[in-house]
Amino acid sequence: MKEIQKNITGKQYWRSMDQLADTPEFKEFLEREFPENASEMTNPVSRRKFLGLMGASIAFAGLASCRRPVEKIVPYVKAPENVIPGIPQYYATTATLGAHAYGLVVESHGGRPTKIEGNEKHPSSQGKTNTFLQAEILNLYDPDRAKEITHDGETSDWASFVSFWKEKHAGFIESKGEGLAIVSGEFSSPTLYGLYTTFKKVFPKALWVVDEPIDYSNLYDGIKVATGKLLRPNHHLEKAKIVVSIDNDFLGTAQESVASNMGFASARRVESENDDMNRLYVVESAFSITGGMADHRKQLSQTQIEGFTRQLAAEFNIIDSTAEIVETVWMKALVADLKKNKGNTLIFAGHRQSAATHALVYAINAALNNNGSTVTYHDDQYAVLEGTTLSEFASNAQTGKINSVVMLATNPVYSAVSDINITAALDKIENKISFAAHKDETASVANWLIPQSHFLESWADASAVDGTLSVAQPLIQPLYNSKSITEVLNVIVNAEDKKGHSLVKETWKGLLKTASLGKPWRKILHDGVYTSSNSVAIPSKNSAIAELVSSTKLNNSSLSKDNLEVVFYTSPSVYDGRYANNGWMQEAPDPVTKLCWDNAALINPKTAQALGVNTKDLITLSANGATMEIVVSVTPGVADNVVALELGFGRENLGRIADGVGFNVNVLRNSAGKHSAAGAKITPTGRTYPLANTQDHSSMEGRPLIREATLDEYRKEPNFAPEMVEHPPLKSLWDDYSYEQGYQWAMTIDLNTCTGCNTCLVACQSENNIPVIGKEEVEKGREMHWIRLDRYFAGDIDNPEMVYQPVACQHCENAPCEQVCPVQATLHDEEGLNVMTYNRCVGTRYCANNCPYKVRRFNFFNFTKDYPEQIKMAQNPDVTVRFRGVMEKCTYCTQRLQGAKITAKNEGRQAKDEDYMTACQQACPADAIVFGNLIDPESAIVKAKKQNRNYALLGELNIRPRTTFMAKLRNPNPEIEKLTETVS
Amino acid sequence: MSSKNIETDASLDYQVPLIRGNPTFASITESVSKVTEAKTTKEWFVLFGFFSSLTMIMIGSIGYLIWEGTGIWGLNNPVGWGWAIVNFVFWVGIGHAGTLISAVLFLFHQKWRTSINRFAEAMTIFAVICALVFPGIHVGRIWAVYYFFPIPNQMDMWPNFRSPLLWDFFAVGTYFTVSFMFWYTGLIPDLATLRDRATNKIRKLILGVAALGWRGGNKQWKHYELAYLLLAGLSTPLVLSVHSVVSTDFATSVIPGWHTTIFPPYFVAGAIFSGFAMVMTLAIIARKIYNLEHIITITHLENMNKVILLTGMMVGYSYSMEFFIAWYSGNPYESFAFVNRAFGQYAWAYWIMVSCNVIVPQIFWFRKLRRSIPVMFVASIFVNIGMWFERFVIIVTTLAKDFLPSAWDYFSPTIWDVSLMIGVFGLFFTLFLLFIKHLPMVAMAELKGVLPQADPHFGHDGHEGESK
Repeated sequence: MKEIQKNITGKQYWRSMDQLADTPEFKEFLEREFPENASEMTNPVSRRKFLGLMGASIAFAGLASCRRPVEKIVPYVKAPENVIPGIPQYYATTATLGAHAYGLVVESHGGRPTKIEGNEKHPSSQGKTNTFLQAEILNLYDPDRAKEITHDGETSDWASFVSFWKEKHAGFIESKGEGLAIVSGEFSSPTLYGLYTTFKKVFPKALWVVDEPIDYSNLYDGIKVATGKLLRPNHHLEKAKIVVSIDNDFLGTAQESVASNMGFASARRVESENDDMNRLYVVESAFSITGGMADHRKQLSQTQIEGFTRQLAAEFNIIDSTAEIVETVWMKALVADLKKNKGNTLIFAGHRQSAATHALVYAINAALNNNGSTVTYHDDQYAVLEGTTLSEFASNAQTGKINSVVMLATNPVYSAVSDINITAALDKIENKISFAAHKDETASVANWLIPQSHFLESWADASAVDGTLSVAQPLIQPLYNSKSITEVLNVIVNAEDKKGHSLVKETWKGLLKTASLGKPWRKILHDGVYTSSNSVAIPSKNSAIAELVSSTKLNNSSLSKDNLEVVFYTSPSVYDGRYANNGWMQEAPDPVTKLCWDNAALINPKTAQALGVNTKDLITLSANGATMEIVVSVTPGVADNVVALELGFGRENLGRIADGVGFNVNVLRNSAGKHSAAGAKITPTGRTYPLANTQDHSSMEGRPLIREATLDEYRKEPNFAPEMVEHPPLKSLWDDYSYEQGYQWAMTIDLNTCTGCNTCLVACQSENNIPVIGKEEVEKGREMHWIRLDRYFAGDIDNPEMVYQPVACQHCENAPCEQVCPVQATLHDEEGLNVMTYNRCVGTRYCANNCPYKVRRFNFFNFTKDYPEQIKMAQNPDVTVRFRGVMEKCTYCTQRLQGAKITAKNEGRQAKDEDYMTACQQACPADAIVFGNLIDPESAIVKAKKQNRNYALLGELNIRPRTTFMAKLRNPNPEIEKLTETVS
Repeated sequence: MSSKNIETDASLDYQVPLIRGNPTFASITESVSKVTEAKTTKEWFVLFGFFSSLTMIMIGSIGYLIWEGTGIWGLNNPVGWGWAIVNFVFWVGIGHAGTLISAVLFLFHQKWRTSINRFAEAMTIFAVICALVFPGIHVGRIWAVYYFFPIPNQMDMWPNFRSPLLWDFFAVGTYFTVSFMFWYTGLIPDLATLRDRATNKIRKLILGVAALGWRGGNKQWKHYELAYLLLAGLSTPLVLSVHSVVSTDFATSVIPGWHTTIFPPYFVAGAIFSGFAMVMTLAIIARKIYNLEHIITITHLENMNKVILLTGMMVGYSYSMEFFIAWYSGNPYESFAFVNRAFGQYAWAYWIMVSCNVIVPQIFWFRKLRRSIPVMFVASIFVNIGMWFERFVIIVTTLAKDFLPSAWDYFSPTIWDVSLMIGVFGLFFTLFLLFIKHLPMVAMAELKGVLPQADPHFGHDGHEGESK
């Protein structure tokens, strides 16, 4: 096995970090050396417990086998209609995140929703999902949810609240709402909007505060200035050949990421060397998965990004700007590229960017004829995106002008920026009503806590960004005494107690202009969507833009190690904190840092070296006049002198999962520095903090694992991927099993479209009952995910590239694990699956040792033993919950394959592609995973395997993996390529 | 003295007889038997108390392990095998010297073995017992461990005969059985001697049963010697096979650093190396405490040191050969695995191994050091440490960094890894103390056979029977 030296050998990956910078500090960054506490005792055993153990150990064999859980099954006495035990049912519903709606199809087993998939008919999900949507199942069954209505800490009930409010309501009607405030997030829903307008009508003097911790108001403001209207943009990445992302993580944490991923992947996917692919330029302050996909990426601080947009806009003569943030030649090359593809390009900016930037982006898109083509603007009549600001509310409250506040599914005490003293403001308010899923920071200071129903427990409706309407129908009765937002708001506004179902139906009677909802309504419930459109075309107001731009000052102070810039990032794990008590999300490794169960201050190696800090060091970080302690994680890809901070962590008294995890960086934000701020300082404390990282090593060591080429190289050498490794002929001494009948399962993963977003990982966890093991166990390296996303850095350490490779069991035909299992617990079946027999597994771990991909996962403890009842309800009944001491791994979702085969057999046919999908494949928003039957000539997998980018990872070991990869391509601008060549 | 003896000794030393002090048959019987008959000394009780406490730690550690799961150890995802398997291979290796001394040297008529063979065989048995502690308990589901056994069952489920772990099961099982039979057969005449000397009825009864009615008749001697020879013949291939099979646990895998054809001979050499070191450690203590310096002479120890020197160099050769092949193969994964061993995160373990196993034994080129009790004692301890680390290096460093860098991790032992290792050492010494106290630690009958007076007339017949 020798790497051949060809003209094209793919990317030169780092052999190691120190190859690039041979200093002792650098050596430590990515390679973990001998740790300080080589042995640690997790469960200190007291003397008494030890003596007990001594006694126990005498009878160990007998006792140990008594611990197997016993379960009783009680059959139905009266069977419900249409429910066949063992056959799941699927219902369409809608999830919302802020003002964005995602149509879903949810699998239900015996009345328990267990798995979420996207609704193909819904424009924002298109049959796909993201990590947050996948994790919603666990939110539903969260045992730490608020369960009872409480009044001043005492358990109360709904009737008491309603009668309490009726009294207040009468008063407010008289005073026209004087002294009443509602705090909510953004939303877009016909029913809620109806209640909102009634509220505005009956309480004209009341305040309606709209506050989102992940605040998109700059986007709306910028577009408002540019167009004169409050509009929502909708991006059509499938049409964009050139994409310029200005600090917009559109593939990751930004809203509408599912549709963006779908569109981006379809414009990027190539089937042969003759296909075209899109080109992505990214400027950002710290790596996001979007930055990882970039063909050209610039690491800029937030102030530089502001200037970058102006430099770009100046090229289009939109404004006059002298800003030169990036080399003029680089910018000229980018602009030439954009102009060449007029109408097929797309520029967008992230929520952190100023309104001026967003307005400029609008103007640039207009100049490139993109508006109406790759980006459309929508006037959402059901959306509430703006309202009174939180700071205005707080100052009103401070002066005693407010006596009642209703906080609708918001948590301002946790998320408010530091210059709004929300706690003091709330203190002045007599009646504080918190409607929340958890007894969170805000609910703890409120008089009333109304538990919020999960969307799978409630009736609601929503409007997607393009105007498509959809209904959210419940799949389960509320598990606790909770209410839906519609029901609560209806009481607040109308002082009458109505069921959510009738409220939504009333709205839809109006929408459908019918007195009784009949067939069309049932069709909407079945399909999940009701199509309508609200796209508008509006000319841009360039003078207003120029005015806004000139009024927005550029910060010219240059950053240094004593003048750092903090940037606040949306968490890919917990969003703004709303997924903080979700074990799947906490354990899903951050795509870039691979940290889980924590957030950290991300600093690049160069800056860290200048500051004298290293990964795991606790530092004191001061910014915006506040100070906090946080741990450092040295991460390549962060701009110089920038500290990237992840929101949503450091929760208190929220629940068993969230409490004490990470650091609350909200304390560093203020109104001016909500998204970023310069002038930050770091002082090391000299202490360290443990971090659980699922990947200690970030260099590919020059191994041909992820094979990559540029589009040009690929065109010259179409077979570069399979030919990258030269090896002797792979022969067997024996006649091999033929694998030519029935079904032959196989998979390909396209590294060219995979963004590393973790959706497959969470989907797999949900489908396959994978346990959550906690920070300590992850720290020991025992994470259980069946599919992991290997992330490697490549290229220049100061401006690296980031690449991903999802690795799950490769189902080798000549599997090393199978040969070594002494009890035949892991075997090959005739369909090419490497199957695990949990009952037979003794747990020698030999198979895991001998797995070259290290994808086998061992139950070191009985991780599932102490599951609360609610979590047990989240389990997929088609998949065994594994016991302590057995090995587990990806099964290609064998339960789904069996289901498809049985259905097909009953219908007297072979199962086809549309009958089966693995969970990862179904969830993947980039459609990077192709799975199917190798001997079905019409299947997608047969076509995929024929592609010339197809290669087997470690195929030279003659293990014949069934999962293969499609080599990654990048499509750099040749002009810029020339530039970097002359520089180096 | 037989001419053969002189020839054998010629390679050692012309002047020194096998046994010093010109003992008689009776004095040998006396000095060996009295250890088992005299009142138990306080020192013995102190030692026994200490080591049996360690054994209790082992039992406690196993109890907790079974209660909680293998997660109490420092194992993680790439490193599925840790100290348990390191200890298993270590103890199986220790056993080899016993078999080599008792069987192979017997077949080669190396008569100097008689002073130490009982000792070495006992060590083999106890080492294998210690080794056998681990395979059963290191699995995740100990209550299902019988799936290993080829038990006919209604499901027609058989173990996987392609798995080296199953080969291990048979190899070590056979090894234990044969070693035990060999040891016991050798014990029979001596047990009869003890029986005949017993003054207490119960002791007489127990020893009488254990001696299987040995009377020392000519016919019995004839059968005995044939049986002993046959068992020696059976044991001999086991010296080579057991550790070869153990090495296939690693050699048949695909993991770079394990997947090497040099493993079987390399493991056997290492096993003999470590076994001799362990015999040395034990013999030096025992001959001192029980005044057996005239029976286990400095010449015996020197011979063992020569074996240690030889096998140490074989092991050293293997280390360098692994590197050569890794480079010569051109396989980047394999090259990395070996460079990583020497210079990676576990380099400290690698250099402990090389220092103890390759450098330390070199002192035995010097006769003076070869015959110095303190020097050889310290050296033998070093070799034991080095050989433990050899297994650690092979198992842990290899697993910690294999093909995909994303999966790499670091193994750190927990208190339960340590307690189990210490506890098993406790078990070993507890068993050894019981052996020393209750059984003749030197093969009296055989020893008498090599005394000059055993062979008054016929140089070609060294084993004229005498039971007393």
